[in-house]
Amino acid sequence: MAGDAALSRRGIAKWLAHLALLPASALMLIPFYWLLKTSLTGENLFVYPPRVWPDDPNLFHFVDVWYAVPFIRYLWNSVLVSALAVVSNVVLNAMAGYALAQGFRGQRGIVLLLLSSMMIPFQVTVVPAYLITRELGLLNSHLGMALPLSSTIVCIFLFKASFSAIPRSLTEAARIDGMSEWRIIREIHLPLSKAAVATNVVLAFVWSWNSFLWPLLVARDQQMQTLPLGLAAFLSVVEDTSGALYAFCVMVLMPGLLVFLMAQRHFIAGLTAGATKG
Amino acid sequence: MTAATRKMQRVSTAFSRYRPWLPWVMLAPALAIFIAYRLAPLFWNMVLSVQHWSMFQAPTFAGLYHYRELFLYDDTLRQSFENTLIYLASSPIAIAIAFALALLLDRPLRARGLYRAIFFISYPVMTVVVAVIWLWLFHEKVGLVNHVLLSTGIVGKPLHFLQDDQLALGAVIVASMWQVIGLYMIILLTGLQSIPATLKQAAASDGAGPWQRFRHITLPLMRPSIFLCVVVAIVNSFAAFDLVYVMTDGGPGHASEMMITYIYDVAFSLGRFDYAAALTIFNFAFFMMLAWFANRMAGGDAGGGDGR
Repeated sequence: MAGDAALSRRGIAKWLAHLALLPASALMLIPFYWLLKTSLTGENLFVYPPRVWPDDPNLFHFVDVWYAVPFIRYLWNSVLVSALAVVSNVVLNAMAGYALAQGFRGQRGIVLLLLSSMMIPFQVTVVPAYLITRELGLLNSHLGMALPLSSTIVCIFLFKASFSAIPRSLTEAARIDGMSEWRIIREIHLPLSKAAVATNVVLAFVWSWNSFLWPLLVARDQQMQTLPLGLAAFLSVVEDTSGALYAFCVMVLMPGLLVFLMAQRHFIAGLTAGATKG
Repeated sequence: MTAATRKMQRVSTAFSRYRPWLPWVMLAPALAIFIAYRLAPLFWNMVLSVQHWSMFQAPTFAGLYHYRELFLYDDTLRQSFENTLIYLASSPIAIAIAFALALLLDRPLRARGLYRAIFFISYPVMTVVVAVIWLWLFHEKVGLVNHVLLSTGIVGKPLHFLQDDQLALGAVIVASMWQVIGLYMIILLTGLQSIPATLKQAAASDGAGPWQRFRHITLPLMRPSIFLCVVVAIVNSFAAFDLVYVMTDGGPGHASEMMITYIYDVAFSLGRFDYAAALTIFNFAFFMMLAWFANRMAGGDAGGGDGR
């Protein structure tokens, strides 16, 4: 009898949990629904009160925006900048992490330098970073947009931790076999550090894909704009009641959301590891 | 054995003894990035902030000229500073909601993974898209928020959220909460799941009720996770550029101006790089103070233990 009571009490607790979680989930999802609905119907100022369900959904606004903005060009810029950031992140951070994991004279100084750089938020650096990029002649270039994002301190330490966990005897054996240090990184350490690589790829992707302030400073003309810049620029030329704006939003949203759904586990692990950014 | 020889033994033989330059070659590219985009800019900011700087002529020494303006005459700075503080002060609400969600999702529950994904999915969304979505929801004529408020009779006539200097900042904060709450929830959930179940069972068998278990076991052990959330909140309040820029551009007037949007305006709209540098230094000093304070509140070993 006592067991039954405890069981049903737990059952009630579960129902109560759902009772709280369902409306909360609805609140989180409604903005997405509203965006999608608007993009399919293009409701505007003349429709009041707003309809809850899409009335005569169609893809007109998607076609409209396709001809109104150079979407493929924006997408290409975004993909290129993100690819540069992701690849250089993995390469630079793995090399630096390897050096730190193996140890060398002067290491403490370097670790101190990295830890103190980590304390400097990127926002604090925008003005001189812009001037430096101008001096380097990298304004209005993909490289200029990707460069500040091309290495992440959190991820250097992530690689260091992962490499340090690899048995030293394995590394020594490879050396005795005459493998160069570069090959040891590539063929032994990196394949054994898949989790660190995945985390770094996810972090570098999200930060570069979503970054807005820095490309806003570096990209000078429309040909160089990334997706978020293109969206912000489009917002400034159209009315916020035009369906095309919301169709554009959905198109911008899709690639990132697809990546998220494909790699959800790595995503969540990565974003909590890099919660404070590096 | 002395510490030095022990250290030499730990340092791998082939790696650095025969080629002492190799580690430096491996570190050089990453270090170059951090020096060029973190350390050098910080120092350049300090230099710029005591100079008169212009695109067209050599800089001259200005002493504390900009800091005088900053502390004595800049009303916009005061406004944006207050707004940044309000933005930051609102984060405990989001963290508390996220904590409640995490507690609900900590126990086995049907569709737990689905709930988790739903709460988290707004976080990786591009902030510019978040801004456009909420612009639309807060639209003064046909926005969903106004529609709900009107039809439930909470307000008598539509609110002009983004044009009203009492409401604009609040609207931006709501959008930012919607975006970040999933991250808080995941951080707190990770923390909750690392608390050993045996601890709670032991307390329960000693007769501790649910509230006592929460108060004396869960809460103290959740301190590092809560601290991480607070750090995220501090960093976000200083980085809140995208949302404000797209939703209100700091307006109306400067009613929703943040430190970072103000610095951007001063530098890139007014072209006053020198004054923007002084503002940045002020901003950075305040940021460090907050970080130090948060660290002390957390018991002095911020992020310790996992090398972050």
